Amino acid sequence: MAYHCPVCRKISPDSMDLARHFLGQNDSKHKDWLKTKGLSYGELIMLQVTAFGNKGYETLAEIFEKEAKVDH
Amino acid sequence: MKEYSVVGKATRNIDGVAKVTGEARYTFDMTLPGMLYGKLLRSPHPHARIISIDTSEAERLPGVKAVITGKDTPGGKYGPWRRFPELMDEEALVTTKVRFIGDAVAAVAATREDIAKRALELIKVKYELLPAVFNPVEAAKDDAPQIHDGVENNINITRHIEWGDVDEAIKIADYVREDRYELSSQSHAPLEVHDALASFDKSTGRLTVWTSTQSPYYVQLGLADALKMREGDIRVIKPHVGGAFGGKISTYPEQICAAFLSIKTGKPVKIVLNRQEEFAVTRRRTPMYIATKIGAKKDGTIVTKEVKVIADGGAYTALGSTALYLVGIYSSFPYKIPNYRFDGCRVYTNNNPSSAMRGFGGPQAVFISETQIDRLAHDIGIDPIEIRRKNGMTPHYVVPGQATIESCGLHDCIDKVEQKVKEWGELPKYQGVGMVCYGFMSGGIFNWINTPYAFSGAMVRVNIDGTVDLFTQASDLGQGSNTVLAMICAEELGISLKDIRLHVADTGITPVDLGAWGSRQTLMSGNAVKAAAAEIKRKLMDVARIKLGENIVYDLEAKGGRIYLTLRPERGYSYYDIVKDAIRYNDGEPLIGTGHYTPHGKGMVSPAFTFGAQAVKVEVDIKTGRVKLLDIATAHDCGQVINPPAVRGQVEGATAMAAGCGLTEELLSEDGLVLNASLAYYKILRYRDMPHITTLEVHTHEPEGPFGAKEAGEGLTTPTAAAIANAVYHAVGVEINSNPLTAERVFKALKALKKNKAT
Repeated sequence: MAYHCPVCRKISPDSMDLARHFLGQNDSKHKDWLKTKGLSYGELIMLQVTAFGNKGYETLAEIFEKEAKVDH
Repeated sequence: MKEYSVVGKATRNIDGVAKVTGEARYTFDMTLPGMLYGKLLRSPHPHARIISIDTSEAERLPGVKAVITGKDTPGGKYGPWRRFPELMDEEALVTTKVRFIGDAVAAVAATREDIAKRALELIKVKYELLPAVFNPVEAAKDDAPQIHDGVENNINITRHIEWGDVDEAIKIADYVREDRYELSSQSHAPLEVHDALASFDKSTGRLTVWTSTQSPYYVQLGLADALKMREGDIRVIKPHVGGAFGGKISTYPEQICAAFLSIKTGKPVKIVLNRQEEFAVTRRRTPMYIATKIGAKKDGTIVTKEVKVIADGGAYTALGSTALYLVGIYSSFPYKIPNYRFDGCRVYTNNNPSSAMRGFGGPQAVFISETQIDRLAHDIGIDPIEIRRKNGMTPHYVVPGQATIESCGLHDCIDKVEQKVKEWGELPKYQGVGMVCYGFMSGGIFNWINTPYAFSGAMVRVNIDGTVDLFTQASDLGQGSNTVLAMICAEELGISLKDIRLHVADTGITPVDLGAWGSRQTLMSGNAVKAAAAEIKRKLMDVARIKLGENIVYDLEAKGGRIYLTLRPERGYSYYDIVKDAIRYNDGEPLIGTGHYTPHGKGMVSPAFTFGAQAVKVEVDIKTGRVKLLDIATAHDCGQVINPPAVRGQVEGATAMAAGCGLTEELLSEDGLVLNASLAYYKILRYRDMPHITTLEVHTHEPEGPFGAKEAGEGLTTPTAAAIANAVYHAVGVEINSNPLTAERVFKALKALKKNKAT
């Protein structure tokens, strides 16, 4: 099982790794994709850096579980 | 420990006489024939669009030779992050929008400094004020004013470091505590302000710039980018420097504007910042909001740690992104933490830019980590020294995914400091001792400038009479690197220091070196110098071997001005005679050796790390909250000490600087305006405020370092603020989670503690 970034097609082994990749990108294409899902880049980052745990990544990973999973 | 002839011997600073007699020349002192004086006009607003700039009246002022604005420059952005162009977000003179109070919008060159100042008053700038934001948490919100186009939520950089399984590990911890901190900004406050003297030669199209800098190479690259010139047509020379502390690493508007003005006028132009500018518009230490959670077993073994950081980046990227990464790394030091997570975010605000400052994220990391571990020890009921000993790093420890620790004298440092604390004995009421441990890089593996060159290069030329010319672009800022590098060269060649002459920090004649930052010069520049000297030594030994006619299995040694058989020292030759032969036997070819160093396969951070422990004894005046420093003891593992008095000097100087961060120094600002931009109001500790400082010797050998040496400069600025906070905690029981521990802060904390006890 693999997860493909919906913007740049990078392959990640799991949804959390893909979420880490995604939120590490500072370009407008990745941020615009978040808006199409009703998410805010700034809110996800602030969630990740203010709350203990991986809450920002987990929020995004839930979406990738549904949408970005690809069978090899 | 190996005994050397030069290395390890107390040696006077080779620049010392020049400095104490006033002979040393700084950019500040320099003049050239026909030189003009430059000044920069700065924005009084934190965030505004430039509508128009009328320079006509200023241009008509007698004595004014040139006035330039952003439209007079080739345009485009510059900055140290050439590796990631989207982070090159600065302009020498702003063209469309100012982003902090002090952003430069115009520059003037005139025959006298007072005329240049008067001309600034005549420049008329129309601004359209924009809403501004000064708090990074507010700046990251969706409705915050956008500071840079295309950068939504003003988020400049994020960093994530993780190993192990933090969320599982916290479940098995017997003790968990969370702490939150608000850490302030400090100013580098060097003795010599930022300055630059530029001279453009119209006949050759070449530019020469003298400037107070930590890296002539970085300035050369920054100028090439900003001026759209070839690097090779720009020569940058670093004269003596009156302190820098991380504030003079990159390229700055005064350097670029001095160059522009010289190009325009055909005259040399010098720009010198005043002290108010030095405080208010140059870089500063990065303020941070930090939350940290630690979990440990009942025996004190740390099982997990998590750190979250929001950094106030100010208006531009500068080198703040590296400070963010390093606070994440150093928050795990110097302990073996099996499960760790760090998330950091640097946010643009309309404050002046934050960047590197001595310690580079280390002081912040050590403050939060070492105050927390002290309190954790108290929660568990374990001695604060024992908990550090239990978890401390050891040689060959691997920081997962980040670094390998080779030499590590941490435990020896703890032992030495513990012994000193015992000597201080029982303390009277309101006195306390705080102890802190730390680790620091010895040369950062960061190529943000995207150079294709080796990180350090050096060249050695031996003359027919045996004297040596050593060429290195390493930058002595007052920390004594010139002396250290000369000592390394002398030791390798087996000659006396008096035979070495240095040529330093001139891009026109010295091989590239990335300069003085990240505590890199002893190890990285030192390795390059040692390699260059070793190449010469090989050539000399080849000649000596032929002359001796011995079997090739017999080794030779170079020491004391001789080259001789190791096992038969009486059989050898004078170094001076061998030099003559080496040149004559090779058709008169000059004896030149080159060396270079770039770390490979050494992880993400540094090829080596220093370690240390420090104890600070304080007394708290409970009526005023004032904290008095009584005694300080530091044990710093820097591998093989190259120059003992230099290390002691670094211990004492770094401790004074760090004590300021812990007790009195804070850049105060309101709505983007620095309120204490003056030596009268920015409180630096003075000689009389400092107690006795004991330097305790710890010896290790770092295999990656020249003769086993590591840094002794930045790591030493990381512990003291935390040690003071711990000492206050032990003296009067207050936990203070911000710095500096001013009398006001301590007094308020005492009052709150008294109120809590009453209820």
